[in-house]
Amino acid sequence: MRTAILPLILAVAAAPLTARQAAAIQQNPKTAKPAADSAAKVAAPAVAVESTDSGKVQLSKATVDSLTQLVSRYRRDPEAVALPPENQIAMGGRTIPAGTTLAGPVAVAGGPLHVYGTVNGDAIAIGSDVIVHPGARITGNAVSALGTVNLAGGIVGGEIRQLAGALGAVPQAAEAESRAGSTRHALALSSSWLIILVLMAIGVLLFAGDYLDGVVDSLEGRFGRSFWAGIATQLALAPVLCLLVVALAVTILGVLLIPFAIVAFVLAVVGLITLGFLAIARITGESVAPAASKRYSARGAALRALVVGVSIYMGLWVLASAFAWAPVVETVLRGVAVAITWVATTAGLGAAVISRGGTKRSAPTASFAAVNDIPWQTPTPVTGVVAARRPTPSSSGRDR
Amino acid sequence: MSRFFALGLASVAVSVVTSTATAQSWRTLDVARQLTDSAPASVQVVYGTGRIGVRATSNPLLYHMQLRYDATRAQPRHTFDVASRKLQIGMQKSEMRFSGRNDADAGHLQLELSRSAPVDLSLDLGAVESDLDLTGLRISRLHVESGASDAKLRFDSLNATRMSVLEVSLGAASFRGDRLANANARDIRVDAGIGSVELDLGGQWTQDIDLRVDVTLGIVTIHVPSDVGVHVTLDKTLASFDHEGLTERDGGWVSKNWDSAPHKLRVTAETVFGKLSIDKTGR
Repeated sequence: MRTAILPLILAVAAAPLTARQAAAIQQNPKTAKPAADSAAKVAAPAVAVESTDSGKVQLSKATVDSLTQLVSRYRRDPEAVALPPENQIAMGGRTIPAGTTLAGPVAVAGGPLHVYGTVNGDAIAIGSDVIVHPGARITGNAVSALGTVNLAGGIVGGEIRQLAGALGAVPQAAEAESRAGSTRHALALSSSWLIILVLMAIGVLLFAGDYLDGVVDSLEGRFGRSFWAGIATQLALAPVLCLLVVALAVTILGVLLIPFAIVAFVLAVVGLITLGFLAIARITGESVAPAASKRYSARGAALRALVVGVSIYMGLWVLASAFAWAPVVETVLRGVAVAITWVATTAGLGAAVISRGGTKRSAPTASFAAVNDIPWQTPTPVTGVVAARRPTPSSSGRDR
Repeated sequence: MSRFFALGLASVAVSVVTSTATAQSWRTLDVARQLTDSAPASVQVVYGTGRIGVRATSNPLLYHMQLRYDATRAQPRHTFDVASRKLQIGMQKSEMRFSGRNDADAGHLQLELSRSAPVDLSLDLGAVESDLDLTGLRISRLHVESGASDAKLRFDSLNATRMSVLEVSLGAASFRGDRLANANARDIRVDAGIGSVELDLGGQWTQDIDLRVDVTLGIVTIHVPSDVGVHVTLDKTLASFDHEGLTERDGGWVSKNWDSAPHKLRVTAETVFGKLSIDKTGR
């Protein structure tokens, strides 16, 4: 199909009218002469004005089939205007003589549409040109698909329209494409975020492992406290930023620092959120696969837990993205992903704030009552005193 | 561990494959309408992504649009209501989507308008690079609204029709207006969110101009010919004002030639986190 239409289009676009017409419609020698005659009339409009409809040429069946398919594609094109029935489309070109009035739409395919008279409606050429000669009048649109509209002195009451490039039913294809495309795009986006977060997790583990441990320590066993601290932090972000800006603004030099302070504030918040999210991802990963972690070193186990945790949280987003073609399911899954991610991020942010970015570790809980040794380390004076017996857990029972 | 590396590699592969596999259908649409009279017309241009240019045509056409677009992503629109003489042209805004590629290199719209018909021109632009050369057109009203863009507007010769208002509303953008006195507008309004705004008020002054500038975060530079008197009323918050050559009077700032100047520019500026500069040397 394409191979049949290609020479037609190329010929229409580049060559002079006669050669173009001849090459396009692949005429046999018998039909070459009428085409040449028609071209001569175009070159000498005065002759053509007196002529009758001279555009009818004999075309091979293959050419007609190709043109029919081209017309069919044009009918499905969103930029198409209404065409007459198939049997009223002049294959190979047509001339509307001067003094004649035709009811539109008038259409040709594979050859030029010369208008000397009047067309009450649209004049359409598919794979060829519309030539509006002096004295001609088209009350509707003059349209050429894969050709040109040549205003040679006539009047077009409607729009002059030329379409180049692909012809055909784009909207349906675009709709199907948009669904598949949007699903692919959503999947690519969420997968990319998964990869980015895993890479960030590896980076944090390598270069800021101690801070991450600090946040994890703060988060373990105090999820509720961290969560409420996270909410308080979120509520306080905007007021704190405003206070920061105002505080800088009251000093003359501070005004210059405002943009930097805003950027630094945003970076600090993003850093805390990331650290907190990775911490809760690690805890989640450890809780999902606790036994397996014994096979690895401490760092290997932490990395495994991080990857598992990040995959779990981001997996929700990937899953939601996979249903982008079904908007209702996608919305529900996305809502679940948003809720879970928000809770995790809020708790992680709270833990990051409580632990001051992982720099403050929670004090280890003593398993037994420690004995205060300091008072018993006083050196014995030279003069001598009676030393008391130091109480120990074992001796206390014995003394009794 | 190997399972997770495999998962990562698979994700990378999926991302790469899906990001490259998108279909396109590029088309070129050329539409025009013959000029039958010089009655006023209203032109509304909507364009989302790509490059747009507007200029005058010397052919006997009311309008002429050349549009290159990806048919899978947007639909062109070109309707002209003969009775109301209202032209709507460009792309259907609701269907415009970013492709993730550099659309500015591919899609473009070139619009040519008649020199003889007075035009009420409204441009609703998205993330575009626009070059609006309105030299030679008869613009009775101009409204430019743009999201994130790099916009240039110029009038190299005097607008033959008096313009009621010239409005420019920008989101995050860089805007430059050249020889705006030629716009023949008494009222010029520029509203910008974030970005830089440079207004050259050179050209032929036929009347006094009221200029209202509202920029939230950005730099506003106004170039004024030296023989034009300038009065600036500024409402600024955490912003600076370069008032070289102006003196304070009645709560505003005026140029030395304010009382004697043949034409006057009254600037009402409002800016937060920005900078306003008045260049009295012209350009």
